Amino acid sequence: MNAAQGSSRLQAVLAIARRDLLEFVRDRRTLFITLLLPMATYPIMALSTALGLRAASSEIEAQQAPTKIAVVLSGEDAPALATRLAELDRTRTGHDRDGWPAKIEMAVVPPPEARALIDRGDADLWVEVESGFIRALDATATVVLPVSLPAGRPTERRVREQFESVAKSLAQDVRQRRIARAGLPASVLAPLDVVFKDENRLPHPPRSILSTLAGGVLVLLAVLTLTGAFYPAIDAIAGEKERGTIETLLIAPCSVQDIVHGKFLAVFAVTLATLVVNVLSIAATAAVSKRFLPGSISMTLPDGAAAALIVTVLAFTGLAALAAATCLAVTTASKTGKEAQNTLTPVILLVSALAGAAILPGMRADSALAALPFAGQVVVARSMFAGGEAGPDALPEIAGPLALTLVAAGLLTWLLLRATATLLADEDTLFRGPDTATGAFARPGYRPLPSMLQGVAPIVLGLAALWYVQGFSPDDLALAIPLQQAAAVLAPLALVAWWQRVDLRQTFAIAWPGPSTRHGRVWPVTTALTGAALCGAGVFVLGAAALLAARGTGFSEEARHLTERLISLMRDRPTGLAWCLIALVPAVCEELLFRGWTLSAFAGAPRSPARTAWAVIAQAACFAIFHLLPERMPQTFLLGAVLGWMTVVSGSLLPAMVAHLAHNSMAILLVSLAGGLSGLPPSGKTDDAVALVGIPPWAVVAAVGAVILGALLLWSSRRRDGSE
Amino acid sequence: MQSAPVDDSRTVIEAVDLVKHYTASDGGGVRAVEGVSLAVAAGEMVGLLGANGAGKTTTLRMLATLLRPTSGSASIAGCDSQRDPVGVRRRLGYLSATTGVPDRLTPREIFASFATLHGLDAAERDDRIARLVTALDLGSCADRPAGRLSSGQRQRVSLGRALVHDPPAIILDEPTSALDVVGARDLLALLADLRAQGSAILISTHRLHEIEHRCDRFVILHAGRVVAKGTRAELLAAWLGGRNGELEEAFFAAIEGRRLADGVPS
Repeated sequence: MNAAQGSSRLQAVLAIARRDLLEFVRDRRTLFITLLLPMATYPIMALSTALGLRAASSEIEAQQAPTKIAVVLSGEDAPALATRLAELDRTRTGHDRDGWPAKIEMAVVPPPEARALIDRGDADLWVEVESGFIRALDATATVVLPVSLPAGRPTERRVREQFESVAKSLAQDVRQRRIARAGLPASVLAPLDVVFKDENRLPHPPRSILSTLAGGVLVLLAVLTLTGAFYPAIDAIAGEKERGTIETLLIAPCSVQDIVHGKFLAVFAVTLATLVVNVLSIAATAAVSKRFLPGSISMTLPDGAAAALIVTVLAFTGLAALAAATCLAVTTASKTGKEAQNTLTPVILLVSALAGAAILPGMRADSALAALPFAGQVVVARSMFAGGEAGPDALPEIAGPLALTLVAAGLLTWLLLRATATLLADEDTLFRGPDTATGAFARPGYRPLPSMLQGVAPIVLGLAALWYVQGFSPDDLALAIPLQQAAAVLAPLALVAWWQRVDLRQTFAIAWPGPSTRHGRVWPVTTALTGAALCGAGVFVLGAAALLAARGTGFSEEARHLTERLISLMRDRPTGLAWCLIALVPAVCEELLFRGWTLSAFAGAPRSPARTAWAVIAQAACFAIFHLLPERMPQTFLLGAVLGWMTVVSGSLLPAMVAHLAHNSMAILLVSLAGGLSGLPPSGKTDDAVALVGIPPWAVVAAVGAVILGALLLWSSRRRDGSE
Repeated sequence: MQSAPVDDSRTVIEAVDLVKHYTASDGGGVRAVEGVSLAVAAGEMVGLLGANGAGKTTTLRMLATLLRPTSGSASIAGCDSQRDPVGVRRRLGYLSATTGVPDRLTPREIFASFATLHGLDAAERDDRIARLVTALDLGSCADRPAGRLSSGQRQRVSLGRALVHDPPAIILDEPTSALDVVGARDLLALLADLRAQGSAILISTHRLHEIEHRCDRFVILHAGRVVAKGTRAELLAAWLGGRNGELEEAFFAAIEGRRLADGVPS
């Protein structure tokens, strides 16, 4: 028997990839999406664009083309004006005739006849020339020249525009005569003449619309590349479940990771093939569509087309990997292909929107945006098509963003594949639980602690709520703080905690801090809470000092505005209310969410030191992000980490609440100490207010002491039952 | 059918005090398997019997490393299912009624992909596939997409897939439920051959009459526990008081907990 033999991991991955790939290429849907769709999409798009442009351009040209206009003149001075116009028409040549009609047909007739002509539409314009018109022109007055248009048919705009050009030329002629009569040189009217010296060195190239189109085409490329992963991903796991073949793979002698990697390779290969076919189709379409484009417009690539193409393909290779991994991860929970389609479709739409956001104004490749999944790749590729700077010279500049986008895509792909493997091996997903992926929308069963995802859920919901609340939030913090805490912290937390029934006592660490001793709880609880208060107050002082040292008074507009509002809250409201709003309410609400729900979710059970440390850091990061103001993030992160540590060490949420309370109370205390609330300047003078709250060195030393002492007190009263 | 004495040194499939609890979707706890022990020796075929929900499939999945036991242990040919799951999978052929075949691959391609996963080299693989195609009577359809085969043929392909690495242990979970009488008979005949060649076979089924005279021993599960085990003769003796009857009667007696010695429930 040769049963004990085994294949190498790589061999297993390749065998699975090969097996899946064989299946995919025999699926006509995959072939359609990968080959036919791109081959049809771009030509259709190009053809309609080109034909549309052609029609628009010929319409514009027709509008601008010189035409023959028929003018009837009536009135005493009509013959004289006709002579002047005829002379102008004869003498104007070259650029002076810009906008002029090709020919002006003039007839001088009596007014009734002129009216009949214009009413019948036999003349384009009827000019009534009053007696004394020419004399007035030669004097210095402004003369009115009434012009009637045909009543029976709409006047073409170009007739009007071209007559206006004629009239302007006449006016210019009159101006020059008047200047000459006044004894001034003609140059009085032309003080400046700009001359483009190199104008004739380069031929005027036709305007390339490629840089304008590039954004849209790249978004389409991203969406179609993504679509390439659609059917293979559904087939790879949900399809296998539906056919009952996933079990056969799971009992093959390889790890779940190998299975997922093999499947990823197969889906990635199809996605990559979709990308390549799309790019080829775009290139061929661009070449072919030259024939359809109007002469003034080209679709040729800017200089360095090859570089732009290489950067696009490289960036989009990352996108293809990400697309394959995303589709696999999303479809893993589904038990049938149909169900997977239902789950994947909204994800595809969402991701397409992300890619579409990449062409919003202000999305630049030389920022962290390049790391954004699905948008970053489009941003990076698009920067290669932006105007004339593209080309080999742009390569060194784009290398950084390109590397960033590839690393970010790689990292995210890896994480998604890990998640896929975990989900695939999950017994509940595989054999039990709700029979549909809509199970994700069914209320889950009881679990002692929330899952990681559920740990983040209220924060995401809260951030979304903040977005909406800021639109309605009153400027008065006495209303805004309770509103924000309720909408962005309490409501999401309550919703998620209702959704996922958990052990509330364990999740929110509802317990007295410190061990129970022979002498009761009073001593350890007092020690722990005193330590927490000292730590919290000290951290505030240190954070504020660091912030002032680093930034001086140069705060962002948002930070200034917030400070102003906080100060006016302290000044205008009773101190007790201000303290409740600034210290008590956030201390309770935010601790329940971050150190209660999220920390428990991240730390899980049973706790390992490494996972606990990670959980403390991760929830602190969430806490920092939740506070939105970038300049406060380091301080908030530090506070979050310290509060997390306290909760872990004491096994209770109380110390964190007390520390948070002390931390926020220090703001009020410091402002009072620095001159009393009544001494605060009127609102609008934030700089003065911040300067008032300057931290003296002794306070920093005291704060360091308080933090150390507080930490020691907390540590001395820690739980010793191994719960940390 | 005579009983083959169980020789510990030849035990290939073994479960010791297997327990599986899980949380159902409504939040309630489910005790699917409560301390199941069984052993199958080389050259032996054991029938695992039980009503729906008795814990048969859960037990077999734990043996096949598809589920992690809550407690207890399972091993195949000396490999522990938790410490060396890959080792178990190398030594086990597993097939269930719900197992399907990839529709767009041919039987030959299916066999080849699993042979590669099991580390067979090209020559071994081709030889093995040729033998399987002959043994499973797939000659006429070995190169047709599996989606176009009859359900009997597909189940034979599944069996071939499970046997491609010539495993010493074979676990089958209701392998005949999707087959007609002829298909089921052929499959069981094939299993008899494998047993004769020394394979250890554990088979669960609802159709008692199919395996009544083919298995060496039986294990009867009820509500996650083993309520009876032994040869057919032993079961009849224990549960029907030695009266000559069908295995089915002994099965009902066992799961209902009434011993029919002298016709009086004890």
